[in-house]
Amino acid sequence: MIQVTGLTKRYDDHEVLKDVHLSIAEKEVVCIIGPSGSGKSTLLRCLNRLEEFQSGHIMIQGEDIADPTIDINQVRTHVGMVFQHFNLFPHKTVLENITLAPIQVLKMSKEEAVAIAEKYLGKVGLLEKANAYPEDLSGGQKQRVAIARALAMQPKIMLFDEPTSALDPEMVKEVLDVMKELATEGMTMVVVTHEMGFAREVADRVVFIDQGVILEEETPAEFFLKPKHERLKSFLSKVL
Amino acid sequence: MNWGWQYVWDYRLWFIRGFGYTILFTSVGVFFGTIIGLFLGLGQISQNKLARGFSKAYVDLFRGTPLMVQILIIHFGLLPPLFHLFGYQSTTPLISGFVALSLNSGAYVAEIFRAGILSIDKGQMEAARSLGLTRAQAMRFIILPQAFKRMIPPLGNEFIALLKDSSLLIVIAAQELTYAGQMTSKNTFAYLGPYFTVAAGYLMLTLIFSRGVSYLERKFSK
Ligand SMILES: Nc1ncnc2c1ncn2[C@@H]1O[C@H](COP(=O)(O)OP(=O)(O)OP(=O)(O)O)[C@@H](O)[C@H]1O
Ligand SMILES: [Mg+2]
Repeated sequence: MIQVTGLTKRYDDHEVLKDVHLSIAEKEVVCIIGPSGSGKSTLLRCLNRLEEFQSGHIMIQGEDIADPTIDINQVRTHVGMVFQHFNLFPHKTVLENITLAPIQVLKMSKEEAVAIAEKYLGKVGLLEKANAYPEDLSGGQKQRVAIARALAMQPKIMLFDEPTSALDPEMVKEVLDVMKELATEGMTMVVVTHEMGFAREVADRVVFIDQGVILEEETPAEFFLKPKHERLKSFLSKVL
Repeated sequence: MNWGWQYVWDYRLWFIRGFGYTILFTSVGVFFGTIIGLFLGLGQISQNKLARGFSKAYVDLFRGTPLMVQILIIHFGLLPPLFHLFGYQSTTPLISGFVALSLNSGAYVAEIFRAGILSIDKGQMEAARSLGLTRAQAMRFIILPQAFKRMIPPLGNEFIALLKDSSLLIVIAAQELTYAGQMTSKNTFAYLGPYFTVAAGYLMLTLIFSRGVSYLERKFSK
């Protein structure tokens, strides 16, 4: 579903991703962990080309998004993204946040879009907030709306960049629960996270990235119980 | 002291006409200045080098030179040959005034648009693009509506400045409010009455206008 080959990304002469190879199958849940500044967000953001990259290829459902002639907006309709700081549109209601892209990008009728929005709002348990504005929601609620907004495009892949890092501790669970449910339903997910419990429980594979290089890629059992690299060992000893 | 209030009354039609022209000049300047400013503002942050270079040069040029000089250049230097080219006699102070104020306020409004757009968190554009919206759609539905709210106070200031600066059109004898005062003084040798009347006219307009701006600010702050 996703194949990354030889991905290199530089900011000026600072190489942030170095020859990264990663392959993700349909319905797979992959968690990416690593120290701050290691390039986790950058890697994730390359997957829907929010970041341009200098070399390498990223195939999304068979389409190479390194090809500048490709319709990237079309590809992005299949790839949902959830951000650390939610990035809800503050001037729009919850419902409008969710229906905007289906109406403008997928050219759905308003009725259709509202029906879909209500379906996913129900799924994240916030149907009664449809007409609220983002500022009236708690952090956990905002992130659940952001997930519903991404899901309303009915993507094949969901990218999460530290979706719970900006939340108060008591709100982390409600967001992780929604993500777990998504995983159970067979969504293909790439999750950058510091939630080791989530990675252990939900991930099919955990990827450790350090200084722009993927050092280890294992099932959670192997990853957490038998880490091979010294760097991963010392990282795990700090976070676990 | 010769206030000359009676002359103000005698020449009241000039003052009323001048008042009307001042409102007209300002309104036209605000209207076209906003349109020009929107395009230049978008041009300044565009990914197209040519659009960016042109917008930056335009803004620098108009903000870096005095409006009065611009008025003189436009009225006496640029517009007459242009009018001849299209077979007209020449420009009028009215048309030159419209052109000069619109072009000038366009440069200031461009800066306000640019700053307004850049003040919106980058995450908004990213979220919109991640949903498949084009850059233009993201601008239209997400960035500009939010930027516009923040732009209301600086736009209000800019248009109040424009209202006052329209008095500079006196150098090309456009018949706005200041001109009415000057003509009355020239004919009657009374100064305080006519120029106080002019000042009161501007004050009235700026007060009404700033009330309007605060009303809009309150209305859009939700
Ligand atoms: N716009 C940018 N310009 C220059 N350097 C950048 C930019 N964005 C990120 N970097 C650098 O790229 C490297 C990787 O950043 P990235 O955000 O991918 O790290 P991360 O693993 O997500 O870290 P964190 O856990 O703090 O979110 C860092 O060294 C960072 O300083
Ligand atoms: Mg990050």
